[in-house]
Amino acid sequence: MYYYLYDSKLNDKKYNNIIAQIETRLTDLGINGKINRLSFLKNINQILTEEVKRGVKTIIIVGDDKTVGQVINLIADFNITVGIIPIGPDNNIAKLLGLPMEAAACDILASRIIKKIDLGRINNYYFLTSLEIGGRNITLDCDKNYLINLVDGNNIINISNLNNCYNIISSPIDGKLDVFIENVQKKIFRKNKSTLSYFKNNTIYVTGDKTIPIFLSDERKIIKTPANITIVPKKLKLIVGKKRYF
Amino acid sequence: MFKETPITNETETVIGPSVKVEGDFVTEGNVIVEGMICGTIKTSRNLKVGPKSKIFANVFAENALISGEIQGNVKVNDRLEITSTGKIFGDIKVGTLIVAAGSILTGKCQMGTAKEKSLKPDFSKQGKIDLKSELPANKELEKIENKPLKKK
Repeated sequence: MYYYLYDSKLNDKKYNNIIAQIETRLTDLGINGKINRLSFLKNINQILTEEVKRGVKTIIIVGDDKTVGQVINLIADFNITVGIIPIGPDNNIAKLLGLPMEAAACDILASRIIKKIDLGRINNYYFLTSLEIGGRNITLDCDKNYLINLVDGNNIINISNLNNCYNIISSPIDGKLDVFIENVQKKIFRKNKSTLSYFKNNTIYVTGDKTIPIFLSDERKIIKTPANITIVPKKLKLIVGKKRYF
Repeated sequence: MFKETPITNETETVIGPSVKVEGDFVTEGNVIVEGMICGTIKTSRNLKVGPKSKIFANVFAENALISGEIQGNVKVNDRLEITSTGKIFGDIKVGTLIVAAGSILTGKCQMGTAKEKSLKPDFSKQGKIDLKSELPANKELEKIENKPLKKK
């Protein structure tokens, strides 16, 4: 039984044609189901809990990366399969999962290649792709074994579960988080000098001398330090394409 | 093995020059160190220490290329290469050692494995050999000496 969650943006007239094409294709493939449109007024968590109780086995998110990030945090604790039909300009997650855009993604959903993938968790908040931390005087306590101290220059820390950062693909099935630390040193009359550090860890505890915002790429949400970041292996069942990056 | 070191999927860890690591750093992948480490480094694969890096730690690796400074003991199972800028202040235990001119190594050095050590022969248990009685040439000489001379 399929359940479709449409992003609130799709109420715009410019998406009418695409939605009609998708719905026709889904009916052709025999995988159509109940549709629910997200909005600020609806409590998505309550709706999803009720639907799962009714016997929904697969939830298809129709929208962009932001929609996927929002919904995945809510459904991570349910034992259901998740599919994505990407619509809109920001669809990096769909690209990494090997899903084509709009109606073409329906065929991938019908073929149902299901992979159990890891999810990152920051202070009981799940994320699929990555998060970014920027600033000075940051300390990362990795796996409770060693500390990474970042003192000089401006540091950009990227903690990825599923991403294609600095031309390195972070695999969501390896059970580890990829930590990229880019240090940028600004120079007058010369090019900025940047260096890259790269680690793989299971748990990271982020602290700073003052509160530092952590930017969640999925949902564009900000969480403040101190934060405990962990990986939850094989947490989510996701429908992926053959052209996936991992 | 160490020619160019771009970050690939095989490279599990890169410690950049801006990073300072404190504690026990244990990994099963290749490690490139360009920054500073205090504590212990342990890898079951290759370790590359860059020229500007400083390590105040005991190091354990399968293969290692040292171009920076290490203050601590180094144990490398297979091959340890110290380049001209490399400095090691500590004892080393390696399978194979390559040292370039200009490098500094201060400490005890143990190369190879215990298997390669040949057994010392035990001469004390061996009986003494009587060279005179044993040689066949000596016996023939004795025969000639004992023969009576023929009268013409």
